[in-house]
Amino acid sequence: MRMSHRSVAIVVTSGKGGVGKSTTVASVGLGLAQLGHKVCLVDTDIGLRKLDLMLGLENRIVYDLVDVIEGVAKLRQALVRHKEYPDLALLPAAQTRYKEEVNPAQVKHVVDELRKEFHYILIDSPAGIEGGFRNAIAAADRAILVVNPEIPSVRDSDRVIGLLESASLTNIDLVVNRVQPGMVRDGDMLSVERVQNHLAINLLGIVPEDRRIIRSSNTGEPVILDNKSLAGKAFSNIARRLAGEDVPFLELEETTLITRIKRLFHIA
Amino acid sequence: MSFLNMFGKDKEEPTATKADDRLALVLSYQRSDIDEKKLKEFRGRLIQLCDDFGYDVVGHIEVIPQSKERTTIINASIPVRLKEQMKEPI
Repeated sequence: MRMSHRSVAIVVTSGKGGVGKSTTVASVGLGLAQLGHKVCLVDTDIGLRKLDLMLGLENRIVYDLVDVIEGVAKLRQALVRHKEYPDLALLPAAQTRYKEEVNPAQVKHVVDELRKEFHYILIDSPAGIEGGFRNAIAAADRAILVVNPEIPSVRDSDRVIGLLESASLTNIDLVVNRVQPGMVRDGDMLSVERVQNHLAINLLGIVPEDRRIIRSSNTGEPVILDNKSLAGKAFSNIARRLAGEDVPFLELEETTLITRIKRLFHIA
Repeated sequence: MSFLNMFGKDKEEPTATKADDRLALVLSYQRSDIDEKKLKEFRGRLIQLCDDFGYDVVGHIEVIPQSKERTTIINASIPVRLKEQMKEPI
C-alpha cells in the first residue's frame, strides 16, 4: 500500500446496543465513497459481525481482522471491495473468535496501515464499554456517538463520552437516530435539542425512524441507496458534513394540508 | 367539543418532560460518581462545618447534584440558625 494524503479514523460507538451503529457506518461509509473518497469500514465486533450483512458482502469474506493481526493473511487479502463502489472496502471482524483475542495496540497497528490508502476509516464499535470498545477507540482520531432519543441510550452515551474523553478522544459528534417526529410533537419522545443539551456535544446528524431500514438490511443494500428513504437522505447529509460541507438539517415532518387537518382532529 | 373527540383519542399525559427530568438526575449522579452513601457522608461533613462556624442545623439538609453542560453542580440547602451564646453567670 502506498503512502498518501492525511486520513482520518472515526470510531462509531454508543455504549448501548441496537441503536443503529452498524447501519450508520454502512450508510455513511457508502456516502463518503459516493463523494469520491477512499473509505475503509472496520468491523471490530469480533464474534458478532454485522457490517458484511449490511453491505451485502457476507459471501465474499475470506480473511478477517483477527487473521491480519495473527499474520495468517496480509491486510490487502482481508479487505473486501464493494463491487459497485470500489473505493469502499470492508475489513470484516472474525465471527467465530472472541474480542479478548485482540488488543488495542494490535487494532491500532492495523488502522495505521489502512491510513496509507484510505481517506476515511470508519470503525464500527461493539456495544458495551469493555475490551471490544477499547479495541475500537484505540486508533481513532474522532468519534461519532449514535444515540436514540430515550433515557437508557442517552445515559449510556453520556458514560461513553466520559470514557472517550479520559482516553483523550475529545472530538466527538452526535447522531440522533430513530427520531419519531410525531412522538416528539406529542411530547412522548425526547427532542433532539434535549438530547443534545444533556450530552453537550456537537450535533452531526438527525436520522428519522424509517421502516425502509429493515428492507435495506434484508437486501444488503445500505439505506443510503434507497432514494425513497428519508433516513437514507439523512445519512447522505451526515457523510457530506463529515466531508466538510455545510448541509442544513432535514425537515423530518411533512406539513401538508392533510396532516394539519389530521392534527386538528388528533388523528395524526 | 365532543364532536371533535369522536375523531380523537383519549389523550394521555405527555411523558417526555418526565424523561427529561429523570435523565437530568441520573446524568448528574453518573457524572459526579455520586451515590447515596457519598451524599450521606457529605451531609455529615456539612453539619460539622456549620458547627465549626457557629451555626446549628435546624432542618433537613438537601444535597442535590445537577448537571449543566457536562459539569455537575452540587446544590446544598442547609437550614441553620446562629448558635445561642452561653450566657455568662452574673
